[in-house]
Amino acid sequence: MVTAEKLRKQFNGLVAVDEVSFHISPGEVFGLLGPNGAGKTTIINMLVGVLRPDEGEVTIDGSHDPAQTQVRNRIGNAPQSLALYDRLTAYENLAFFGHLYGLSGNRLKEQIARALDFVGLTDRQKGIVGTFSGGMQRRLNLACALIHDPPLLLLDEPTVGVDPQSRYMIFESIEKLKKRGITIVYTTHYMEEAQRLCDRVAIIDRGKILALDTVDTLIEDFGGRAIIEGEVAEISVNFTWPGSTFEGNRFTLETQKPMEELARLANAGLNFTRLKVEGANLESVFLNLTGRSLRD
Amino acid sequence: MGKVITLAGKDLRLLVRDKSSLFWVIMFPLLIALFFGTIFSGSGGQMSGMKVAVIDEDQSEFSQAYISQLDSLEALSITPMVYDSAFQKVRTGRLAALIVLKKGFGQTGGLFSDTPLVEVGIDPSRRTEAGYLQGLLAQASFMQLHGKYSSPSLIREQLDKLTLDSGAWKGLDSRQLARARSFLSSMADFFESLEELSIDSTADEPSKRPAMFAVKVTSVTNDVARPRSSFEVTFPSAVLWGLMGVAATFAVGIVKERNGGTYLRLRLAPVTRTQILAGKGLACFTASFFIGVMLLALGTVVFGVRIVNPGILAVSLVAACLCFVGLTMMVSAIGKSEEAVAGAGWGILLVMAMIGGGMLPLMFMPGWLKTLSHFSPVKWGILAIEGGIWRDFTYTEIWLPVVILLGIGTLCFSAGVTLLSRTDR
Ligand SMILES: Nc1ncnc2c1ncn2[C@@H]1O[C@H](COP(=O)(O)OP(=O)(O)O)[C@@H](O)[C@H]1O
Ligand SMILES: [Mg+2]
Repeated sequence: MVTAEKLRKQFNGLVAVDEVSFHISPGEVFGLLGPNGAGKTTIINMLVGVLRPDEGEVTIDGSHDPAQTQVRNRIGNAPQSLALYDRLTAYENLAFFGHLYGLSGNRLKEQIARALDFVGLTDRQKGIVGTFSGGMQRRLNLACALIHDPPLLLLDEPTVGVDPQSRYMIFESIEKLKKRGITIVYTTHYMEEAQRLCDRVAIIDRGKILALDTVDTLIEDFGGRAIIEGEVAEISVNFTWPGSTFEGNRFTLETQKPMEELARLANAGLNFTRLKVEGANLESVFLNLTGRSLRD
Repeated sequence: MGKVITLAGKDLRLLVRDKSSLFWVIMFPLLIALFFGTIFSGSGGQMSGMKVAVIDEDQSEFSQAYISQLDSLEALSITPMVYDSAFQKVRTGRLAALIVLKKGFGQTGGLFSDTPLVEVGIDPSRRTEAGYLQGLLAQASFMQLHGKYSSPSLIREQLDKLTLDSGAWKGLDSRQLARARSFLSSMADFFESLEELSIDSTADEPSKRPAMFAVKVTSVTNDVARPRSSFEVTFPSAVLWGLMGVAATFAVGIVKERNGGTYLRLRLAPVTRTQILAGKGLACFTASFFIGVMLLALGTVVFGVRIVNPGILAVSLVAACLCFVGLTMMVSAIGKSEEAVAGAGWGILLVMAMIGGGMLPLMFMPGWLKTLSHFSPVKWGILAIEGGIWRDFTYTEIWLPVVILLGIGTLCFSAGVTLLSRTDR
């Protein structure tokens, strides 16, 4: 569906994107995870043809020119900087963009109603967008990208500046879209989001892809060990467990395979009063790959 | 074409919902039209004085004070004279105008009397300046009164007291008078509300405290093509102010759109760059044309502005609007941020207005500035619109300003589009 080949983009000497290549299959949710300034937005802009790469090539649906009308009709984009008219209502925004995609009459009305319903803004459709909360604006931004039913959807940080309720609604929407078989490119600097929503994730830092795989494989390969902490009710003196350190009733142990370790602990017939497993996650993947935290 | 209309419709909707822009697009030009004389706060150093004779038939203390007040205006250079020699000098063009302060002037201060107590005789070749002179007279009188009254309710009082059948309103029929009265009353409301609002930078100007002045303007020789009232001079320039307001508003809107995400979405939609540009142009043209028609309609219906040649006026207005569409594109491309474009945009437009006679009629400018005014689209716009209102231009006379307006428009449009497309990738 989407192929990027050795994309490179420089802004006044600063290399924003460097040798970025990936292939996204139809129906896949593909994540671009990296801190602010990593180059995610620049990659998206090159995918949709707003920015011309200095080197490399983008292919969408077999076409090398994203500016072609039939390619544009197949792409929906929810930009990071909100693409909405503040002084228009939610309905007017959707109608305007719908018109541009050639929708009109009943078909337009249906699509608007669907999009509003999809992001839960039906009862606010007559509200002026400028008066909306950040979360509502983000949801409308998503709805506008969906107005023409595109099979490919690009979401650039769709949860930035959003309240927890809206974030939850956005997640739900994206999962529904995924079920419909829509191909999604999702950029974020929140590892929980990539972990929850994406089939495959490209970890990006300073314009380069550091690793690209499924979430599980990434964690397995780069996540490091999980940490199990616990407290047991009673314990015979001199009890030991391979790999663990005991301090009275309390113990901690690091392991590559936390599930297997837990199963063995359970089978040992120990009586736990407290147990906590801190698994490796994409955060630790990023930390291990770059030596820095994602939140910096 | 459907998409172009969609794009334009969106921009017009955004304009209508933007209250502060509407002020610059509608209210400000209207203020210019109505209180031109007092809005112009006098005394630019480089101004050459208009040579005027004063005939004081009243010989009162008040009239003497008034004359010295007039004399203090840099725009005027005053010589006391007897009527006959003043008339000769004006007729032969050695003086621009004569001002007669009639008997009884001292009792009323010349304000709001039933019969005009001030008469202005003016050289017909300088008819454009009649309205301006009228403004200066009002200004002198205003300055004299300013100490006495300074409360906002004075405006209401003055407007209420204003006898509309005195000189300034000569030639209006009774229905027009009634309309003008109710219009002025709502203006009074507006000014009172301004006292609380304080809008932008104009808030401190004395323009908000206008004084109406009863003046009778006569021509020394009879000339068909001359403005019948000062409104026929001020409304054409008001139209140009309206166009400038639209241009500034749209230019800022274009930058805002480019900097926000919406332009990105537009570019990803299946519309061409040409369609996007055409949409902007259409919206800008429609808004300009509508404002022009509205101001002129108001001038005609309420303030007795005649339209001697509707065909010429239509051609002129269309040309002026097209010219300002081009200017909008250029202004929108001169900066990257909204603030930069708003600042520089108004700067450019104000300079154009200044050298083009939008503030100060061309006559008062030194020669080199007059030459410079040929480069100002405001000058050609005013000239063209006046051509349809009182100058009674023929189609052979109108083509020069129209061609110049279209030329400036095309030039600016191309420059703007070239600059904009450079930053696109
Ligand atoms: N138009 C531009 N001009 C100059 N530098 C830019 C431009 N766009 C992005 N950059 C720079 O490129 C880098 C990547 O930016 P971006 O793609 O927006 O990162 P992200 O979306 O991952 O936060 C940043 O250092 C940013 O400052
Ligand atoms: Mg970004």
